[in-house]
Amino acid sequence: MSRDRIQREPLRQRLAGLVWVSPWLLGLLFFFAIPMGMSMYYSMTEYTMLEPPLWIGAENYTSLLSDPVFIKTIWNTLVYAGFVIPLSIVLALAIAGLLDTDSRVSHIVRLMVFAPTVVPLVASAMIWLWLFNGDNGLINSALSIFGINGPNWLHERGFAMAALIVMSLWSIGQPVVIYLAALQDVPKHLYEAGSLDGMGPIRKFVHVAMPSIAPAVFFNSIIQTITAWQIFAAPYIMTEGGPDRSTYFYSHYLYDNAFLYQRMGYASAMAWVQLVLISVCILGIYAITRKLWSTRS
Amino acid sequence: MSDGHTEHATKTDITRRAALVGLGVAAAGYVAFGPTPRDKVPSGRIVLDYWEKWTGSEGLAMRRLVDRFNQSQTDIFVRYLTIGSIDQKAMIAIAGGSPPDIVGLWSFNIPAFAEAGALLPLDELARSKGLSPDRYARAVWPMMTHRDQLWSMVSTCGTVALYINDDKLSEAGITDSPAPTTLEELDELSEALTVRRSSGDIESVGFIHTDPGWWSWLWGYHFGGNLLDIDTNSATANSEANVRAYEWVQSYPSRMGSRDLLKFQSGLGYYGTAQAPFLTGKVAMQIQGPWMANLIEAFDPDLNYRAIPMPTTRAQLDQESPVGLIDGDLMVIPAGAKNPEASFEFIAWMQQRTQIEELAQAHGKISPLRETTAEFLATHPNRSISTHAAIADSPRAFGFPKTRVWPRYVSEFDAAFQRIWLQETDPASALTLVNERAQFALDEAADRRHRRGR
Repeated sequence: MSRDRIQREPLRQRLAGLVWVSPWLLGLLFFFAIPMGMSMYYSMTEYTMLEPPLWIGAENYTSLLSDPVFIKTIWNTLVYAGFVIPLSIVLALAIAGLLDTDSRVSHIVRLMVFAPTVVPLVASAMIWLWLFNGDNGLINSALSIFGINGPNWLHERGFAMAALIVMSLWSIGQPVVIYLAALQDVPKHLYEAGSLDGMGPIRKFVHVAMPSIAPAVFFNSIIQTITAWQIFAAPYIMTEGGPDRSTYFYSHYLYDNAFLYQRMGYASAMAWVQLVLISVCILGIYAITRKLWSTRS
Repeated sequence: MSDGHTEHATKTDITRRAALVGLGVAAAGYVAFGPTPRDKVPSGRIVLDYWEKWTGSEGLAMRRLVDRFNQSQTDIFVRYLTIGSIDQKAMIAIAGGSPPDIVGLWSFNIPAFAEAGALLPLDELARSKGLSPDRYARAVWPMMTHRDQLWSMVSTCGTVALYINDDKLSEAGITDSPAPTTLEELDELSEALTVRRSSGDIESVGFIHTDPGWWSWLWGYHFGGNLLDIDTNSATANSEANVRAYEWVQSYPSRMGSRDLLKFQSGLGYYGTAQAPFLTGKVAMQIQGPWMANLIEAFDPDLNYRAIPMPTTRAQLDQESPVGLIDGDLMVIPAGAKNPEASFEFIAWMQQRTQIEELAQAHGKISPLRETTAEFLATHPNRSISTHAAIADSPRAFGFPKTRVWPRYVSEFDAAFQRIWLQETDPASALTLVNERAQFALDEAADRRHRRGR
């Protein structure tokens, strides 16, 4: 092999590598970096899409602060996230803990728990619409057996939010699978040591399993936080944000501003604020988790 | 080493060849079995893309007309495309600089699109084809204009009237009662038609404002109110007439019980299905457009019904000029369309009586023209079509308020309506809040228009 060729080889390899990753790089540039840059620019403009953007500086951001609907949607989203994130973690962990056996029944139940995750969101929203029907829905019919006059779930202010939270917990399959995989990775000898120390199943779960699966809990918390902040389809179909905007969430308002009110600039500003809010939440979770880990260690 | 290199190269060659063959087979399969355009465009014609929102039988009716136009032509060929969420898609296409030649928008879209300069003004083109206001029913031409300019031409339109299920009246033993003309009479009839179960739950009602619930904002017009003073760019949501209207609206949940009504409402079926509350008799009277006849024909052709103008207050009563909403589907030519003259050729052809009546009949709507043929009325699927036609020709017919911020305005109105209906607030406070927020939106839009130098 000549000296020249040896020198050329790494360059050729690098070029070949770049060619192979170029579709991804181009995708990142055209579908991520440039749109993000454009949306930052649009957030500083009044942009109806039908007219050229009009530069208005930080006006969209300052308007957000005095927009009562914006504040309302942040509050609604926080309430929703405040219930859904902890509830889904606890519930998914509990189900995963119960399913952490190798029996045939456990396999069937795993399938049942995961099945709602693959049901299209629109289809599941339609099913829940009927379940929550105040007049002849299954939930109220079941309550009436116990003499309880069920509420009008999706039409009453307090209950509409509760109904959406319950519905979100239905499709809990994905975190359950992650927790289950993490639980199955916990070394058996740790459980055995726990047994020798006289621990019962619950104490073993809390003191042996939990520390081992903490990274999975951390990962799921982040995913749940992002999902909660982006909730859109279910309330859009089931309540249309009502009654009186009590289930009007951040992403729904963003969508309305962009496509219904022709305020793409305002919607872009909202998208950037959403990114900041999600980042703050994730940093908060990270800080709490780190503190917990450092306390334990 | 050289052996290994050769082996590596051979493997790469085989993989590439396999990949190329695979791609070739896929491409050949796509060409042979892939989608083929429905419309075969004859050579030498100007091709126009026409985006319209209709599907099903309504879409087929329009397609028939497009095919007929294409057959009658040697110069132009219209390609008809059904598009969902058409206003949003049109907005994106216009913004992207690649608009279709003709778009079918809703009447409430016109102010926003026109003010943004996204539409071509049609005054000159209409004049050249002899299309003038006197050809159309009184309320139709204003619907097609904005700020004294013509931006669109009608394809179909309808007015909103009160539908009465006469079978429900017979069931209740009300056979010879005249149709209600005032709101007091409507309330009385509604009360007589409301049935409760032994449990106290509502079984069926005479009338409620939330079914179908598409127009939460229109009740003030039946009290002599409106929502916008276009000359001063002022919201008038909390005018005295509107407050009285929503006090009347609130009297229903007050009388029947908010919770009972909510429970009843949540059990109602959807419009467009056999479970539609008017068809099942759950709601004996509701406001609807003339297209209701198609629903009745599809699911309950034996239903006895009639439509009358929505009653008004006693002070507003004038049977010669009924009050009612007019809404329409309008054809526009987007700014940047390549062949505006050819596009208008098709639009003008659609304005001819034969085409416009055929489409109106298929859609169960009124003819937008001032004069209609006797055959149109006699063979129309809606037995009360003359009621709807009379509203379209009334000086008191009203359309959507002509402002580009209408979607924001109506969102505020919908939220306020829900608070009023749930009896969480008094109408005056709710409407004052709507007015403040609508005025803020109007002022903001005016300010931005000013900054754009318009």
